[in-house]
Order: sequence, then structure tokens, then C-alpha cells
Amino acid sequence: MMRKKLMTKPGLSLEWLGSNMTTVGPIIFVIAVVAIFQVINPSFLKYRGIITLVYSMSYFLIAACGLTFVIMTGSFDFSVPNMLKLSALICVLYIEKIGLLVIPLALLVCLGFGFINGLLLAKFKVPSFLATLGVSIVVDGIAWYLSKGHLRIMQDETFRSLATTFIAGFPSILYWGMGVWILSTFLALCTVFGRRTYAVGGNLEGAGLSDINIAWHRIKVFMLSGFLSGLAGVLYMSQMGGGSVKIAADMAIPLFASVVAGGTALTGGVGGPHRTLMGVIIITWIQAGMSMLAIGNDVQMLTFGLIAIGMSIATIDRKRIKIVK
Amino acid sequence: MNDKLLEVKEVYKTFDGVVHALKCVSIEACENEIVGVVGENGAGKSTLMKILVGVYSPDKGEMYHKGKMIPFPRTPKEAAKRGISIVYQENGVIPWLKVYQFLFLGHEDKYIKYMKLQTVRMKEKACEILEELHVACEVEAFMHELPLSTQKMVEIARAILGVRLESEDGDTTPIIILDEPTAPLTDDECKELFRDLLKMKKNASFIFISHIIPEVMEFTDRVHVLRDGNLVAKYDFSKEKMTEEDLFRAIVGRKSSEYISRSEDRGAADEEVVLAAKNLTKSGHFYDVSFDLHKGTCIGFFGPTGSGKSKIIRTIAGLMNYDEGELKARDQELKGDELPHVRLTRGIGYFSGETGKELFLNWSIAKNISIINMEKILGKLIPVIHFNAERKMAENIVQKLEIKAPSVGTDCYSLSGGNKQKVSVGKWLERNPDILLLDDPTIGIDVGAREDIYEVLLEMKKKGISMILVSDEPKEYSILCDKIMFVMDGRIQKVLGPEEFRKVMST
Repeated sequence: MMRKKLMTKPGLSLEWLGSNMTTVGPIIFVIAVVAIFQVINPSFLKYRGIITLVYSMSYFLIAACGLTFVIMTGSFDFSVPNMLKLSALICVLYIEKIGLLVIPLALLVCLGFGFINGLLLAKFKVPSFLATLGVSIVVDGIAWYLSKGHLRIMQDETFRSLATTFIAGFPSILYWGMGVWILSTFLALCTVFGRRTYAVGGNLEGAGLSDINIAWHRIKVFMLSGFLSGLAGVLYMSQMGGGSVKIAADMAIPLFASVVAGGTALTGGVGGPHRTLMGVIIITWIQAGMSMLAIGNDVQMLTFGLIAIGMSIATIDRKRIKIVK
Repeated sequence: MNDKLLEVKEVYKTFDGVVHALKCVSIEACENEIVGVVGENGAGKSTLMKILVGVYSPDKGEMYHKGKMIPFPRTPKEAAKRGISIVYQENGVIPWLKVYQFLFLGHEDKYIKYMKLQTVRMKEKACEILEELHVACEVEAFMHELPLSTQKMVEIARAILGVRLESEDGDTTPIIILDEPTAPLTDDECKELFRDLLKMKKNASFIFISHIIPEVMEFTDRVHVLRDGNLVAKYDFSKEKMTEEDLFRAIVGRKSSEYISRSEDRGAADEEVVLAAKNLTKSGHFYDVSFDLHKGTCIGFFGPTGSGKSKIIRTIAGLMNYDEGELKARDQELKGDELPHVRLTRGIGYFSGETGKELFLNWSIAKNISIINMEKILGKLIPVIHFNAERKMAENIVQKLEIKAPSVGTDCYSLSGGNKQKVSVGKWLERNPDILLLDDPTIGIDVGAREDIYEVLLEMKKKGISMILVSDEPKEYSILCDKIMFVMDGRIQKVLGPEEFRKVMST
């Protein structure tokens, strides 16, 4: 009876806080971040400040949702930033030749590379860290080859309106981001695909005994990650209106930090895209807030590195890990 | 009779204050002999050995060395000082070290002069000791270049060397514990190893842990039999004549009173064959296994651990490949490289008693039950999980199996062992496969929960689900099975009915 009472009525005690730290922690973190920046820089939460924040987080959220699924299975996808870049560059390079068909082209290319990532892991047993790092570098090479390293400007107005049309006071990229986030959350929590993703991450052996084609499922997860990186790239190009191979160069660590900060542990099986929203807000708002204060890239990277490490320590279930390599 | 070199008396050990791993166990080892310690998995062999080498400390007990009472060691290094060392079953060798480097691993400090390792002296000493122990290998060779049996010998030599370097009085006979040393070896390599071991007997005493009966019979001088944490028997092979079957029965136990038949009338058993194997072979594990599984019946593979019984069931489940033979479910051929999820689509489910393998422990009961029953809780139009249907399905199972939990949303972590097992069975009850493979279905749970699980399994059998059982518990076979195949050394020796089985086991 005692137990039932405790379960139905969680009081706001310290114990409750301790056991729900992965949920409450990020929210407290966001409030703290906003408060600090608001005190230092009073225009942080004015309309223009908010628009900056929205622009900086939306495409990032889409890419992070894809990465979340991969991390939920206990793997990692290093190729997200470079796929995002390749997708963005395909859009700007070929828009004059084939018009808006560049969008499905870019998405298909990223889907394909996602498939290769998954195949390397599931069929050839290459650890995902290595496989996706390799694919990432290949993708980088292709991006250099296609763009020759030049800065390109997006001229097509229809394409640019994808992300920059204002609806109800906010740029449309916010609706894209939130839409993908809601769909990802739905996919993770309410569908067989999502349930199986948690299963593969939580207990690989058990998943194999439970009606799940592990190899094919992992490939599907990497394809989803590739597809969402591609989508993030398309919208990034639409928002920025141009770019070179230098874009998205330092994204890997902030992306990873945002997923982990949200509460999806690297060990897999827990967390989910619904949590990633908070992590993305933490990371991108710190980034934007620092940029508004003209704090340099050096301090920013240092901060993200520390957040990534700190959050890994906080979220990993160490009892389940025997050997770390 | 030789003097007793090492003796432990009345050792007790409990884990978490609940599980009695050892109850009043006494063993002794004399000078220059090989003494066997045998028992099934979970009998307490490893726990006892870990106490001897100082990994665990016992709750109660006494330890004597050459008749003198000494405290139990607290670390492996302390154990080495008293002359006791262990060679573990696996992962003992570091492949990329040279033989002499490996021999002195952890004792290099004895060979340092002016902060420099004296490799020449180490090599000389290594040569000496290998010669003394009749281990034939080059000290400059890499460990991974040696045959497996020689690697084991070098490991044993290292243990003896370690004792000599660490022990307080220089001339104690080392006591070396061998934890299932033959597990990774082939038959020929085993013979090689034992030939060398017999030669080493004059340099050391060995405590030999194993569950492989023939090698215990052949190479040990005396044997202690452990079962469920108790010392159940002691045999001296020089005095008593025994057969392998005698020893096997001592290991698994004869609890004749417990063999009560539960399978009432078998008239309803169908003639329809749902699974047929013909000369199924996986070299090194099992050979020429043939059987027909009829609808609504249960076959058991019975034999000592390591006989290949669990390999057979794992092969049928799709966890292992087979080399030769034929496996057919109804008319479909089951290829060797099919994975478990494909086997499941053909109606073959695999239920393991190891809940860590089977369940998602950080998931709720409801999710664990629904994971293999997804199509029942999906929406007709859009394939979305209906959480209400999921909860109802789980509540139904929880009620039927009397699973004790606050709600179906409770995480499986917090359930007791027996209730976890019931969740595992429950999901298969809901799934209703054609064939259910039972791999030690009641391992590690208490008697009451066992009875409940037998109840459910018998009910499933009545509904027409066919089963194959592999277990360490003889009682289970007589309760569940209609046909028992006795497996030894990877071959089916004889086929028994439940009545015959009961008779054989209770005499």
C-alpha cells in the first residue's frame, strides 16, 4: 500500500528530484542559461533575440532528432554534420539546372549514405564510431569535389522562402523543426519502429529473440538519421542563402552534446527525441547567447566539450557497462 | 596416505544474505595429487575456489595449511603467499607477450637492477622452470603462436612460479586451482594437457574443477561432489570402483520422492509432426541428432553440462548454425543461418530462463509482454500502438499468472526473480507459438514460482503447443516431457519415456 501511494502521488521531495534528474535536470539547466544571458544581455529575450535563437536551433533540432534515434540504439553517427553539408551544397550547386528537384535529390543522397552506414555496422560489423567517421570523411571529400571549395550563393527565391517565410511572427523553419520533432517523438513512443529501437538499444540479445530483425532495423535507423541530416541541410541552405564546404565544420560535438544533455544516454535504450528538444535548446542557445556577446569560438568549443563530457557522466548507466574501450 | 596440505572446514557463504552459495562445505588437498571438484552450474564450485584465492571472503569457516590454522586470504596476492594460485578458464593469456614476459608478468619487480629489467636473467630462469615442469616451448615465442594446450601449461607454470616467488617459506608445495581448464580445448589437446599435468604432479598439488565426467574419472585421484552449495559426496578412486553413471547421478542428485507425474492422459497428443530433425550435426558439439516432435508434446534433451544438449536447443532456436543434416518445421526447411526472428515467423519461440537475456529490465511489464505481440495492439488503419490495448493485454496476463506487481507499468527491474520469469512466460502465453523451446526455464527461482511456471507450461502444452526442454533439473523432465533423449558427448545415447526416466533416476 505504501508503495502504491508513493507511486501515484510523487511529492516534490529531494528523493523525487533525484530519481527524475534526467527529466528535471535539462529544464533547470535551460532556465539557468536563459536567466544568465538575460542578466548579462537584456536584449536576449527581446523579439529580435528570440528570432536569432529560433534560427539557430531549428535546423539543428532536425539533425539532432535523427542522431537521437541512432544513439538510442547504442550506436553513434559521426556523419551527420557532413551529410548536412553535402545536402546543403547539392541544393545550391544544382538548383539552376534542375530547380526544386534538388531537394529530393539531396534527401536521396543522404538516405543512401545512411544506408551505407547501417550496412557497415550491421552486416560488416564495423563499429559505428569508425564506420560513420569513415563515411563522414568520404562525404566531405565529395562535398569538396563538387563545390571546388568556392563560396556559393543561393539565388532561387522560392527555395529560400522554404525556411524564411514568416508565419504568425516566426520564420517557417521553426515550424519545420517543431514538426519534425513532433513526428520523431511520435515515431519513438507510439510506433513499432520506436519500440524496437528502444529494444535494440536496451538489450540486443533479447531484441534478437523478440521478433526483431536487428540488422535491418539498425540500417533503417541509420537511414532515418541520414534522411533527417539531409532535410536539415536543405533547410539550412534555405535559411542561410549560401555557403561553402566550411559550413557545419564544428557541429559534431555540439550535436552530440545536445542529444546527451537532453537525457539520451550513449549506452542506448533510454531517452528519446522528446528529450532532445531541451538539449538542443541548451546547446544552441548557449551558442547564440555567446555569439551575441561576441564570445569567441574558442570558449564556445571548450564549453560544448565540457558539457558533452559532463552530460555523458551524468546519463550513462555505469552498472551495465563492464568494459569501456 | 599423504599429509593434508590444505584443508578448509565448514565454509559458509551467502550473497546478499539470501542466496546460500555454500553451506558447510569442507574439502582438502594432499601433497602431490590431483583432486577434483565437480558439480553442475550453480553448485558453488567457483564460489569455493574464489574463497580459496581471496576474491571472496567466507561468512564462516576455517582454513588449515599443513595442519596449522591460518586466516583466509583477503587478496590473490595473499593467497599466493600461502602457496595457492588459480588458472582461470578463459582470458588468462595475453597473446602478444613472449613466453618469458608472460611468465614473469606481475613479478617483474624481482628482476630489476638499476631501474632496468634484466631480460637475460629472466629468460634463463624461464628456461629453467619450463624444463623442470616439462613444458616444451621456446621462451622467445609469442604466446599466441603456441598450441592451446601448451598455452594452458605455460599458464600453470606461471601460477607455480608466482607461488614460488611470492610465498613466505620457499619450499611449500604450490596448490594450483584449475578452473575448467579443458573447456576451450579439443580432445587431442586435452589428452596432451593431462599427460603433462601428470608429470607436474611431483611439483605441485592441483585442485581440478570440471563437470566433464570422463576426464574427472580418468585423471583425478579423489573427487568432491558439490550440489546446490552442499558437499554431497567424496570419492577416492584408488579405493572405490565407480562408473561414469554413478558419478553423474551423484552430481545431479536423486530426489526420487519428487518425481510425481503431472502429465495425465496423453491420448489427445496429435500424430502431426511439427518439427523433424534428421542427422543434425555440428562438429565439435553434437552429432547425428534425429527426432520427430509431435503436436502438443514435449521432448527433453537430458545429460550433463557440456554434453551438447544446450547447443542442440540453441541450434533449433537459430542462435547457432548446423553443419549437416536436415531440420524441418512442418514442410518448411529451416536453414542453418536463419536468425531467431526468422524462426519466430515460422512459429518457433525461444524461452530462456536467464531473465537478463530474455527481458528488457528497464521496461514495464506491459512493454515486455507486448514486444512479441505487437500486431495485436496496433491500430487497424494506422499502425500505431494502442496503449489501452497494451495495458489490457498485460493486465490479463498478470492476472492469469498471478504476477505480484503494483501495476503493469512497473519496471521489471523491481520484480523478484520468480515474477520476472512469469513475465517471460506470460509473453509466450500471449504469443501462442507452434513450438516453444525451453532453455532452463526455471533457473535460479524458488520452488513455489517453479510450480506456477510448470502449471502454465502444461496448460500451453494442452492447448497444442509443442515444446523442447533442456534443463539442469531432472525433476523438470519428468513433469513436462513425454519423451526424454539422453545426450552424452554430443550423441543421443537412449530414448526414454517419462516412466522409465523416473525409474532410472530414482534407483
